[in-house]
Order: sequence, then C-alpha cells, then structure tokens
Amino acid sequence: MSFISWQYLLFLPLFFVLYWALSGKRRLLLLVAASYVFYAFWDVRFLALVMTTTVVDFLCALSLGGHRPAPFKVLLLSLAPAAWTGVCYVFLPSSGLSPWVMGLAAGLGLLFFATHEALWAWGGESRRRYFLLLSVCFCLAILGFFKYFNFFVESARTLLTAAGLQPGPVLLKIILPIGISFYTFQSLGYVFDVYRGISPACEDLLTFAAFDAFFPQMVSGPIERGRRLIPQLAAARPFQPLYLQDGLSLILVGFFKKVFVADNCAVLTNYVFAPGTPLNGYWAVLGVVAFAFQIYGDFSGYTDIARGSAKMLGIDLVENFRFPYLARNPSDFWSRWHISLSNWFRDYLYIPLGGNRESRWQTLRNLGVTLLLAGLWHGASWIFVLWGAYHGALLIAYHFPPLNLLAGKEDRFSGRDLIAVPLMWLLILVGWAIFRSANLPQLLGWFSALGHWQTSLALPWWSSCGWLVFHTAPLILLQLLTLKYHHESGLRHLPWPVKGLVYLLLVLLVVSSSEQDREFIYFQF
Amino acid sequence: MKKLVTPAFLMVLVILVVAEVIARLFFAQDISGRFAYGYDPQAGFSERRDGTVKLFRAGGRRFHPQAFSRHRPPDTYRIMVIGDSVPRGPSFKQAYPWLLREDLQQRQVKAECLNLALPGYGARRCQVVLTKALEFEPSLIIIHVNDTNKWEDEREWRRSQEFQGWHPRHWLMKVFIFRRLYEAKQEKVFWSLVPEEIRLKGAVRDADAQVAASKDPAEIAARIRLAQEKMVENVALVRRQRLPLLLISQCRLEKEPGQPPYLNDYGLDALCAALTGPGVYHLAMREVFRGSDFATYFADTGHLKPAGHQLLAQTICRKILTEQAHFGLNGLKVAAEKEGPPAPHY
Repeated sequence: MSFISWQYLLFLPLFFVLYWALSGKRRLLLLVAASYVFYAFWDVRFLALVMTTTVVDFLCALSLGGHRPAPFKVLLLSLAPAAWTGVCYVFLPSSGLSPWVMGLAAGLGLLFFATHEALWAWGGESRRRYFLLLSVCFCLAILGFFKYFNFFVESARTLLTAAGLQPGPVLLKIILPIGISFYTFQSLGYVFDVYRGISPACEDLLTFAAFDAFFPQMVSGPIERGRRLIPQLAAARPFQPLYLQDGLSLILVGFFKKVFVADNCAVLTNYVFAPGTPLNGYWAVLGVVAFAFQIYGDFSGYTDIARGSAKMLGIDLVENFRFPYLARNPSDFWSRWHISLSNWFRDYLYIPLGGNRESRWQTLRNLGVTLLLAGLWHGASWIFVLWGAYHGALLIAYHFPPLNLLAGKEDRFSGRDLIAVPLMWLLILVGWAIFRSANLPQLLGWFSALGHWQTSLALPWWSSCGWLVFHTAPLILLQLLTLKYHHESGLRHLPWPVKGLVYLLLVLLVVSSSEQDREFIYFQF
Repeated sequence: MKKLVTPAFLMVLVILVVAEVIARLFFAQDISGRFAYGYDPQAGFSERRDGTVKLFRAGGRRFHPQAFSRHRPPDTYRIMVIGDSVPRGPSFKQAYPWLLREDLQQRQVKAECLNLALPGYGARRCQVVLTKALEFEPSLIIIHVNDTNKWEDEREWRRSQEFQGWHPRHWLMKVFIFRRLYEAKQEKVFWSLVPEEIRLKGAVRDADAQVAASKDPAEIAARIRLAQEKMVENVALVRRQRLPLLLISQCRLEKEPGQPPYLNDYGLDALCAALTGPGVYHLAMREVFRGSDFATYFADTGHLKPAGHQLLAQTICRKILTEQAHFGLNGLKVAAEKEGPPAPHY
C-alpha cells in the first residue's frame, strides 16, 4: 500500500482508532497484522521473506543473548514462512506460488532449524560468533539473491565474454521485493547490537515482529535501531493529543513534499533523462536541479509521512533529513541526507573496518569502501556503484587542501559557507546526474550537453524554468521558516496563525497537484 | 476533544468551510455544471419562472449574455446559431448572428437570432447545446461545421469523466474549491509552462496529453469518424423536429510561401453537401469569401473580422429571404424524410 493512495487514507484513520482502543498484546497483534496487510498490498508472497528475516533474527538474537528457545518452538517458527507460502498456494492461487517454492521454503526452514540447534553445541564466544554469522548469512543471502543475483551474473558474463569465453544465459526472472534493503538492514543492525551487547535481545516474538515489519517505515525507512524502537513498541502508552497533532502536521508536510514538489519536478526530470532526448546545457542543468528537488521531496516526503504516521501511534522515528542541501562538505552532507542509512554504515561497516582510528591511508580506504557499498545498497547497477565511488572520492578529496579548508563549525554558519555550501551543492548535483542516469552512455550524454548552449538544440527552456521555480519556491520558503528550529518538517514552534496559514497553503498546494499517482523512488531500493 | 483541535487546525477548517459555503451559496449558478466541461445540458441556461430564459457564462460555457422567452412568440422567426468561436465572434454585436437579426429586421422580418456558439466546441459538444436549444421552439437552426475542435471535445469529455462517482479517490475533488484549484493548476500552470512535448511524455493522466499523445493514424481516423457521426446525429436530431437546418461549413485561410493565400475547407464542404436533403441546407464559407480580399475579412486563419461577419450575415439573410418556403419563414414546417440522413462520403 502506498502512502499516496486512497487506501492508505482510509487505512490509517481506521488503524489509528483501533490501535488506541486496544492495549497490551492485542495492540501489538493488531500492529503486526496491519503491517502485514500493508505490505501484502504490494505482494502477498513476499511476506514469507519478511517472516523469514523476523524468525531468523529473532531466534539468533535470542541465542546471542544466551536464551535457548525450546527446539519445538524453533522448528515451528522456522517453518512459519513455508507455511505462509502454503497458505498462498492453497488460498491465493493468483499468487503463482508452486509446491516447489513451498518445498524450498520448508527446506530452508529445516536447514535453519538444524543449524540453530547444532550451534548450541558450541560454547562461549564461538557460539555467539556463529549465531551472528548465521543471521548475517541468511539475511544477506536473501537480499543478495533477490536484489543482486542478476547483477552479479550479468557482470560475470560480461567479464567472461570480454575474456573470450561464451557463457550461456543464466538470468532469472526475479522480482525485487519492495523494501527488502530497508528491513534487512534494520533487522541486521539489531542483531549486531545484541551481539555487541548494546541492545538486549527481545524476548517477545510479537514485539520483534512489530519492530521488523512496522508499517510506517518498513518499506523505505528510516532504518531504526532496535534499542530505540523496540522499547517504544513494547511500552504501554496512553493516548495524548500531541501525538495526533504532530503526526498530522508531519504527514501534511510529507504529502506536500511528495505530491507537490517531487511529482511535479519529475515531469522535467523524466523528460531530460529519457533516452534520446535532445539536450543542451540549459536542459541538462534544469533536469538535474529538478531531480535534486524531486529525490529530496520524494524521499524526505516519504520519511515525513512515515514519521507522522508513527507519531500518531505515539512512536518517535529517527530524523532522516536535516536540510541536506545546506551541507558544507561531503561529510556534512551524509550527516544530513538519509541519516539513518549513513549512521548504519558508519556503525556497522566504517567503524568495524577501523574508522578513523588507524593511519590516514586506512581512514581514506575505509571511507571509500563504505561509500562504494552504500552506492551498491541503492541498487544493483554499476551506475550506483559509480555514484558511491564519486561520493567516496569527494569524502577523500575533502580531507586534503584546499577543500578541507572549507570545513566549518557544525552548527554555526560563517563567511566561508558562502563558498562551501554552493560548491557542495554543485558537487551534489553532479552526483545526482550520475544517480539518475540509466547507464554510462546517458551520463556521458548529460556531461557533453553541458558543452553545448545553443538554444536551437532543444525545446525552449525558459517556461520550464518557471515550472521548476513554481514547484520548489514553496519548499524553500518552508525550509527558511523552519531553519532556525533545526527541524525541517517541524512546524510546532511557529505561532498558531502562521502555522494555520502554512497548513492552509500546504493543503491547497497538495490538492492542486493531486492528479499524480507515482510511486516513491526509494521503494526500488 | 478540546485539546485535539488546535487553533491552527480550526483556522484552516473554518477558512475552507467558509470558502466552500460562499462558493456554493452565492455563486451556485455560476458554478453549476462547472466540471462537466460543456457536457452538462443545463449549464449556461437559466430558465426563469416568468417564462424567460437567460444565457449566461457558467458551467464551462461562455455564452454571450442573452435573454429570450421560453415559448417563441407566434409572429417571431427564431434562429439559433450553434458552433464554435467563429460564429461566436469578436463581440456579441459584431458577430454575424446579431447582424443577421438586424438585416432581417431591416427587411421587415420580426426575427430573433440567438448566438449559442461557444469557443472550442466541436460536433460532440454542439450536440449537447443543440438538444437543449430544441426545447425553445426555434424556427431555424444554424450549425457551424468545423474540424478543429474534435480534440477539445474529446479532452473535455475525459476531464468531465475524471472524478465521476463516489470512489474514495474522488472524495477530495467533491469539494468545489479543491477541484477548482486542481483545474486552475492544470490549465494555468501545467498547460502553459510545460512544453507540449514534455507533457506528452511525462503526464500520463493529463487528459490533454492523453488525447494529443494519440498520434496513431488509426486513432486520429477514429476521432474524425466520431466527429462525423456526431454531425450526422445532429442533423438527424433537427430533422426529427421537422425544423429547417442550415449547415455552414467553415474553412481556413492557408498561406504558403510563393503562393497567394487560399481557403481550404478540409473536406467539410463535401461532408455538408452529403448531409443536405429536404430541410437541410448548406452554405460553404469558402464560397462566401471566394475571390474576396481575405485580409479584410479574416482576423487569422479561421476567425472573421467584423467585416467578415457582416458579409456572412448578408449572405445568410439573402439565402433565407430567397428561399423563404424552405426556411419556414412563412410559418411552414418542412416535411421530414422517412429515411435517415445520407451517410457522408469523401
């Protein structure tokens, strides 16, 4: 179910009422059921994958915490995903699942069960390490198969062909399960935290299932930490009016960013980055600026709706964006853009690799590796790897003069920011050109367009510039209004008449563009 | 509950409700049929209790304001002109329906000539106006036949169907001010700022783009066929009422480098000629203006200057007066043929 759909606009109020009408286990049960229904709107079959991740990480984390569940319980849980595929096979023939898939799911369940039980034969730290490995292997195997299998096979085939060999076609028709990168990383992060002893193992399956499949953030983040979200889910909170007020305010801002800003900027972006579009320098710049606003409006809009929906349930999700286009350097950018993912890579990859504790060369290597993998996380394509490498190179370049001179104080703007912010904005734009290009030839086409400024080469660009300004100016004004509160979507601090006018304007702008019906960009990741 | 409703929320709610109530209470007539885009038969017609009918600008119809009695006075020859921006004219009194009335009255014919022409209307939407006009006892119907508005007809039809029904996805658009805003954004911002080429590629749901995107020759042929079918239906509709009908086939002024300007009827003359029969007459604008100084009569490729309207009015007046019996000027009804109108051929 998409946030930008009439189904969600009916689903959320209904769920909100039921959620606060219930308490304790029933509330959690409702939350899990609603989350599964929410996910099943896209593809009911892939709930089996969500369940697998939940079961594997729940049981592994329990074992990491030193709790051994009864073997019968482990067996039962291990077979739950297979049982779900069975339910789909019997009751939902349109899902297209075959007995083979059922058998495969059951086999994997039994394999997990056997491994789980076998690992308990080990003692001490080794067992903990192996349980961590088991969880990581299972989760990454699922992610790797569904997201990267064809990518690696295709890349290997290209390599072999270049070496003069003739490999046969082995590509599979694999559908990418929506949100798989997000819930896999969230779940893995929890297991890492339990392993490190930062977070206690969750002993209640229902709470953990709610954490893994929490519908507001399941498909596109923000990627939450177990130690933040699980206690909130488990706590018995009474309803407070502030939850509803803040939640609705965030949802409205999110809708504005997505429907008014992102979807309208997409009109230009889609044209510029469509194959075969004749471009000149004006259009190349217009297209990438439009995309910068589109992807920001799209993703931060999604995050706001997610945070607003969660807030209505009394749950605070982590902030994911903080005025990213005001960043002064790459490091600053990554502390403002997709913060939850940046922090994930920092905590579970960059720091374990050594972070900045080792030599300068090793620090730069760690930065490069982290950004390369962060790029790959975004999609199974070399263009995303290139985008990651580009940002890695930027991070490294900013460690050396003259760019390192542009680093300013964290919260204080100074004179040199007048150079640093626009420069960083330009560098970000180049990054978005890489990100948005479908392939390398298209990217090269975009770069070559920057060398041709004859207006006769493409459509008149001036009126389209007006279109872009019309759809981005309200966002910029909103940001200016909230800048001093350091919270880009929080309107709580504004005086109520101003807040009322802002709400009214946002409602009218959203309604004016409500004909669009597009998915969020980050769903594909 | 009191804590749930914040002053800011209340403010928004009050402003929206007040705006909606004002629109619906004080501008009810103007907004009636607003989102039918010309497909609401009643839009623009106000039938008063005293028996008068007023034409006004509303419901997507920009009629010239006019008033007439619902029942035609017995000694009055009532002409109703239906068409697009060409007969609508640069202003009410410069358009040929008014001038025709003047010409007829100068010749002692007590005539009223109602200008029901609307910009952008093709055969499909003209049919809706015609159906309504026939309720008001006309003596003669004049229909302008054009080939330029079939896309507008189709686009507006799709727009009129866009938020029909009570599906939840349409709920927001049941609020007048929301729908109006959405419409304004579409027309004033989307259509005017975004080049057509981009609209066609990007805006999947835009009715305009959907229509214009159909560059497929088969699709184009289907649209033309639909317009022709509607024209045939319009003729049949008038003939069933046993009323005289004058079809005026429009033409366009073409200019090609190295050649003198000429008038092109794009096959409309042949279409109209094929539709003529007892009670159905044809006047080709190309014939009216043939050999004249086009710059004197044409404002652009299709629209006429006041002098052009004058000439057209005189020609029609002459035709009516010379063929009085055919046009029912003597109070005669024209007998309808048993068979339907002939099919068009090209």
